[in-house]
Amino acid sequence: MVDRYGSSTRREFIKRFGATGAVAALGPSLLLAACAEEEATTTTAAATTTTGPAAAPSTSFVEPRTSLSGELKILLWSHFVPAHDVWFDVFAKEWGDQVGVAVTVDHIGVGDVPAAIAGELQSGSPEHDLLQYIAVQGQHEPSVVDMKDVVDEAISRYGTMLELTRKSSFNPNTGKFYAYAPAWVPDPGDYRKSLWTPAGFPNGPSTWDELLDGGAKIFSEQGVQMGIGMSQEIDSNMAGRSLLWSFGGSIQDENEKVVLNSDATIAAVEYMKELYENAMTPEVFAWNAASNNQGLIAGELSYILNSISAWRTSQETDTAIANDTFFTPALAGPATAIAAQHVLYNWLVPDFSSVNVDAAQEFLLHYTENLASVAWHSKLYDFPAFASRVPELNSWLDNDPFGAQPADKLSVLKTATDWATNIGHPGPANPAIGQVFGESILPVMYADVAQGNKPPAQAVEDATAQIEAIFGDWRGRGLVGG
Amino acid sequence: MATEVITTRRRRYLLDNERVLGSVLMTPAVIYIVALVGFPFVLAIIYALSDVTTGSRGFNFVGFDNFVRILDDPVFLRSLRNTFVFAAISNILVVVLAKALAMILVADFKGKWVIRFFVLLPWTTPISLATIMWLWTLDSLFSPIDWVLRWLGLIESNSYFLGKPGLAMASVIIVHTWRIVPLAAVIMMAGLAAIPHEINDAAQVDGAGFWRKLFEITIPLMAPIIAVAVLFGVILTITDMSVVWVLTRGGPTNSTQVLATWSFLKGIEGGALSQGAAIALFLLPVLVGLTVVILRLARRVEVF
Repeated sequence: MVDRYGSSTRREFIKRFGATGAVAALGPSLLLAACAEEEATTTTAAATTTTGPAAAPSTSFVEPRTSLSGELKILLWSHFVPAHDVWFDVFAKEWGDQVGVAVTVDHIGVGDVPAAIAGELQSGSPEHDLLQYIAVQGQHEPSVVDMKDVVDEAISRYGTMLELTRKSSFNPNTGKFYAYAPAWVPDPGDYRKSLWTPAGFPNGPSTWDELLDGGAKIFSEQGVQMGIGMSQEIDSNMAGRSLLWSFGGSIQDENEKVVLNSDATIAAVEYMKELYENAMTPEVFAWNAASNNQGLIAGELSYILNSISAWRTSQETDTAIANDTFFTPALAGPATAIAAQHVLYNWLVPDFSSVNVDAAQEFLLHYTENLASVAWHSKLYDFPAFASRVPELNSWLDNDPFGAQPADKLSVLKTATDWATNIGHPGPANPAIGQVFGESILPVMYADVAQGNKPPAQAVEDATAQIEAIFGDWRGRGLVGG
Repeated sequence: MATEVITTRRRRYLLDNERVLGSVLMTPAVIYIVALVGFPFVLAIIYALSDVTTGSRGFNFVGFDNFVRILDDPVFLRSLRNTFVFAAISNILVVVLAKALAMILVADFKGKWVIRFFVLLPWTTPISLATIMWLWTLDSLFSPIDWVLRWLGLIESNSYFLGKPGLAMASVIIVHTWRIVPLAAVIMMAGLAAIPHEINDAAQVDGAGFWRKLFEITIPLMAPIIAVAVLFGVILTITDMSVVWVLTRGGPTNSTQVLATWSFLKGIEGGALSQGAAIALFLLPVLVGLTVVILRLARRVEVF
């Protein structure tokens, strides 16, 4: 039978194209396998050749409380400091080799982690035994293991746990530690000394009033704006909370009752409008999480609220900018001087039968044991929740091992635990607070007023209504008090 | 030997039987659609009618509560409005530009194939990658567009394309249009090529000019194919979250928030999975209705 495919039969056509199809189908798999192999080789090579400065802390090992076996699959973000990931992968695998557990580590982009965690927990059969994210994950409480055992053990070994990390991993309404939070990252102000000195503030601003005064002068006289974000991203959320607390406002009180609609909040919103009109440009409404870093590194911003990551990057890209960048603690407002943490590590263990809970929890204790290595390999980005594990931290901050000029530039961070707090301050970082954060309600509230879309009282009232609805939902599930 | 012959005959029979062969060849596509479209779709409906969260273990049926709740949310209402605005303006631009582009590309000129290749590039580039290119192009501080405008003396300070609500909306619409025009142009090129030359020749002999031929011959004859292009455009615009997510994440002040991004923010980032599902499904009846209407219209015009 000769058909329309020319002189061949349909059977021949199927045979011929079937073979081609098989190759086409298998091709990408083969290619991926080859790439994976290449990647694995590269990772191993990088890990074995990366040594870091000579004074890097050595890894210490403590026997697990129970005998372990099987696999431990870990999912975590790709750290802002790539050297951390190279160290972590080797660190985790070496631990696995010692205790008889096959460890696999998967890093993914920070923006992809929330969807990955949600997907794994919803699947009912998580791919990973240990999930980590850089923000509070209280919404997953019903599907994760209570980490009280790990917290108690860590406290018994290493002493008090930092309050802000405790409040960012513990639900007082259910008495459950939905996560383990052994490390965090401070959120200081980053300012350019050469710009702030002529404005009369050689040591940078120390209050929100000075920020307005100096920032406006720099903008009008030197043409450089500042960058306090009012966009739907993490840094804007953190900045908005610092300002709110410093003016005496907050989203919730200690008992998780919504108290946003207050004179203090309205005053904070009015202040932000004034700051925008005198010292900033519309770029702050369009930012993503990397934008203020890029602006500072490019020398286009006089002041930002961020971790030390932007400055660390500038050490490699532009030493003049790096040497000119200095840090301030939380700015003082009419009420107080506190700032939110920049990053807060929540480690979750899914509560499913397939999960190797013992291995996950013992690994976390091993990780806690080595928080000095964590701080070191993150180039002092990560701070410990158990101060006793990193006794060298203050000396490193006084004499930066990674080339700060001057070397004591980071000394201001020695007091970070005094002025940093959790995002639910003065209450816990509950799931409702997490959702308010995720939906960026505070940055939008500030931006609506700064852009003239709404009067301050209206913006605060609208934000409060949205927040009340969210709190109501989570109260109904028994996860939020008030 | 006899068994071998029977087996060969049976194989031949199966391969030559259109019913069997058709089913076999269709099976992978059906499995693909059921697994990657059908199953998530049914799951989304179930979620939307429940109180499930990203971390919840239980499942409680709550009827249409989620739909009622989201209607009280001002950001949802704004997202709904924005979705319609984006879809409408983008697709008007798409139809006009794609039609013009198709007419250019069916004409004979030197280098036509190179031009066709470049015109198709936006469609072949992965959307997230292409949008990141636009993100850099529209950057508040380093936009090359601003640089050129400043160099020409047309502006003094930056435009802040993504920082001002009006400009941000325009940016999102332009990127959507830029992305969909090539696909629509290719569809319309097929329509143009299908119009018999004799009709245009006869009209020309009768003295019809370009515009008269365009509005009285080309567009009426192409109506079904234009309808298909519009259908694709509307669905791709309404269901896409990449462009808004990469460019603005819905900002500034939710002025570019659309249902797809708000659904993701609510359901995944916020943990309220059931509400996120309800938001995602909200336009389903509208989209289904729109699809039916457009396809029926297209068929009716075709029959005439």
